Amino acid sequence: MDESEDVPKEFIKLKSEKLSVDEVSDLVVSPYCGAVSLFIGTTRNNFEGKKVIHLEYEAYTSMAENEIKKICRDVRQKWSSVKHIAVHHRLGVVPITEASVIIAVSSPHRAESLEAVKYCINTLKASVPIWKKEIYEDEYSWKENKECFWTNKEK
Amino acid sequence: QVSVLYFARSAELAGLRCETLSVPREITSLQLWEEIVRVHPRLAVIQDQVVFAVQQEYVLLGDQLLLLQPGDEVAIIPPISGG
Repeated sequence: MDESEDVPKEFIKLKSEKLSVDEVSDLVVSPYCGAVSLFIGTTRNNFEGKKVIHLEYEAYTSMAENEIKKICRDVRQKWSSVKHIAVHHRLGVVPITEASVIIAVSSPHRAESLEAVKYCINTLKASVPIWKKEIYEDEYSWKENKECFWTNKEK
Repeated sequence: QVSVLYFARSAELAGLRCETLSVPREITSLQLWEEIVRVHPRLAVIQDQVVFAVQQEYVLLGDQLLLLQPGDEVAIIPPISGG
């Protein structure tokens, strides 16, 4: 491939189909990078002793994509050697053990991409308008991230 | 006239996902919330937890003066849980 692989790119997708780690990491791989760091958020089967049947996600899609773009801009300011960034988040029903979110970042050396991935997931949980509903056997619950920047919770 | 979008718990309490509301052009975010609660009283229970997104910028409920344009998008944002 002879495309200009030195142009840093963002790949942001919100979709209801199953996420693919291979697909997301292939998006950020670059011959200029020696490191690809990945975070995968998966669905746990329990919460406070209750059995979780599955999760359901919804999003304010246009704003969520914009907030994720802002996170990518922040990442580039903080770690200028970061090459490509991919954030895929699943919407709708996510069964147990399947991925809800995959974040991949490439950089020439590992320190920057590891830090950037951590920053991405932490900031996503604080500021991106996506909501998760945990479905139990006989009830459900809208979850609230402790990182949510406007709720008065002890962090 | 603005478009009001409801998400997650607020959509369940209001019973709908989106509607048009007529509100004054200049209004504080708290006054806007009170207008919306007038139409959907069940939303009152989440007052302490929500913020607005006005044209996709977060706004806390309070004295902040909003200058709304016709067709502006105002979303009710309950505590988020992405990731």
